[in-house]
Amino acid sequence: MRMWFVGVLILGLITFSGCQPSDKTADNATDNTTDDTQEAQQELKIAVAAPLTGGSAAFGEMIRKGAELKQKEINEAGGINGRMLTIVFKDDAGKESEATLVAEGIANDKKILAVVGHFNSRCTLSGQEIYDRAGIVEFSPGSTNITVCELSKWTFRNLYHDGFQGKFIAQYIDDVLTEIETVAVFFHNDDYGRGLRDAFVAEAEKIGLMIVASEAYEEDTTNFKAQLTSIKAKKPDAIFISGLYAQAGLIVKQAREAGVTSQFYGADGIDNEVFLTTAGSRAAEGTYITTPFVFGEDDPKAKEMAANFVEHHNVPPDTWAALTYDAVGMIAEALEKTYNPEAELAENRKAIREHLAAIDTPEEGYMGVTGLTYFDHNGDTVNKPAYVKVVKDGKFVPAEKQLLDKK
Amino acid sequence: MWAQYFEQFINGLVQGGIYALIAVGYTMVYGIIQLINFAHGEIYMFGAYFGLILITVFHIPFWIALPLAMLLCALLGMLIDYVAYRPLRTAPRLSALITAIGISIALQNLARMFWTAEPQVYPTDSLPSIFVSGLNDMGEVINVIPLPGGGTLPYRDVFILLIAVALMIILNLLIYYTRIGKAMRACAQNAVAANLMGINANRVILATFAVGSALGAVAGVMVGLSENVTPTMGYYKGVAAFAAAVLGGIGSVTGAIVGGLLIGLAEAFGADFHSGYRIAFAYIIMILVILIRPTGLFGKATSKRA
Repeated sequence: MRMWFVGVLILGLITFSGCQPSDKTADNATDNTTDDTQEAQQELKIAVAAPLTGGSAAFGEMIRKGAELKQKEINEAGGINGRMLTIVFKDDAGKESEATLVAEGIANDKKILAVVGHFNSRCTLSGQEIYDRAGIVEFSPGSTNITVCELSKWTFRNLYHDGFQGKFIAQYIDDVLTEIETVAVFFHNDDYGRGLRDAFVAEAEKIGLMIVASEAYEEDTTNFKAQLTSIKAKKPDAIFISGLYAQAGLIVKQAREAGVTSQFYGADGIDNEVFLTTAGSRAAEGTYITTPFVFGEDDPKAKEMAANFVEHHNVPPDTWAALTYDAVGMIAEALEKTYNPEAELAENRKAIREHLAAIDTPEEGYMGVTGLTYFDHNGDTVNKPAYVKVVKDGKFVPAEKQLLDKK
Repeated sequence: MWAQYFEQFINGLVQGGIYALIAVGYTMVYGIIQLINFAHGEIYMFGAYFGLILITVFHIPFWIALPLAMLLCALLGMLIDYVAYRPLRTAPRLSALITAIGISIALQNLARMFWTAEPQVYPTDSLPSIFVSGLNDMGEVINVIPLPGGGTLPYRDVFILLIAVALMIILNLLIYYTRIGKAMRACAQNAVAANLMGINANRVILATFAVGSALGAVAGVMVGLSENVTPTMGYYKGVAAFAAAVLGGIGSVTGAIVGGLLIGLAEAFGADFHSGYRIAFAYIIMILVILIRPTGLFGKATSKRA
């Protein structure tokens, strides 16, 4: 009886350390290095590194689904020059320490040609040094911290960065939500939360939006009453949450309980259904968020992708699924144009970077479901607009007024 | 200004009540077998999940789910003692400590296996309506007691405070006025001598684990009501509660209660002063107290432990 229980506990441990939920694709992939020449010609392998568990797991889930759909479509259409695309999913749990381990693993894998990921800015930054040293492309479909692409020539992203997003939010509040004059900032004390706060505060000060409070919370915080009490005392018209969906949901819920009536505004880190279920639809009602992409009614390409996504996964896609779908598409395109089976691994990895870096004008850009993607000299995408969504009747819907001309 | 401080005081008390409920579990076990039961934070987490599952899957009303979650956690605590700690009773203390850390990691991962890592919330429509505070359709804040200066105290938090106080009183009655309480105190003073006097020490230790774990379950369910439930939720609150137990003097039940309240208050006022260092304030206070009084506020080398 005792041995039985110990057995269960050991099983739990093994499950944790050994089996990440989405590694089934990795198992299917041929990992035996004995006959690698034969296999290497059959398949092209890339990694998708995302928070499949932990506090950002809902994003990771959508990233995985988006990548799987693109992989399926590519392979059903005959693969990349006849070779099948294989995706290895790696879980960084949204933590710096895990991201470093994942990056080491990928860099040392003799078959992985490029990485789509990571999601959290802090993870992309942690893995960056390792990818940079190994000479492998790190293509993030979600990290928005300003410095992400500046620091390494191997890092790219297909969405705006927080320098733009923070500025945009301040301008949207100033231009559209004109009744708001004072704002309190409540930020997650990590690379994403602080970077976005800085950009927002800088622009707000420039355009005369008054910042009346700036409070921090940590990764593990689930009770925000104390900070909310001090924010409430400043009577802000709006509270800008610079953080992620699960904690933001609790903040909004606990704020409404505490009688805070301020307008809430959040950024793309909140763009997930879990925010609504955590906060409760009544408390979340009227919350504005910014996001890099929305599925519009009049875009046939996005509509088609959304339909295929629903068919394959039985849930509608979100922003991150779409951005990952495009990121995998861009890597696949790079592989199609550059992959040389005769060449060394390092050369093939480098060729992908050279290909992406050469996409630096709108004419050469990649047209995906999230619009045209091309890069500046850092690897940043600077042409994509920000969209605004608002919670209405318990759902995220595009806000009536968009400021798409601001780029 | 004062209204804000008063509100922070209330915030601190409610958090402190939760910490105290968890800290009692640490301190009781330490008092009786000198083991820092690092798995206690995970027992609290399981309490939150038990409550959630009973309410959402088995559709059991909250008022029955709460005692059931306590019972399940008490059984879990006893099972852990029986399986993991009892075989090590005579082993060096370090072995038991390492086992405790191992059990903590294993329980966290079991929870992740059973219920995934995704944060979950107690569904508001299956809770007693007085616990569901927030805005109603008219934009009014309901189910709260208004505080001076525009603040609010949700009924739920009042309930948390009341149940914490009530359980502490019951616990003290149990320890000082019942046979099992007497046996606990005897074992805490000298387990070998207690055994010689005919007290079954192993049974007393099981009872201690049961009581501590049941209180942890209450804390878990209470936190589930206002925050979310995740496999790692036991870590942060567990560490804070452990700090509370050390601050109050580990081994002393009164110390755990006072320590819990002090840590809660320190966090609330710390956050008010500078939110970036919210958690640091609690530990600075703990370190200062330990520097001046190494045994903690209520810990005495020869004190009655239970």
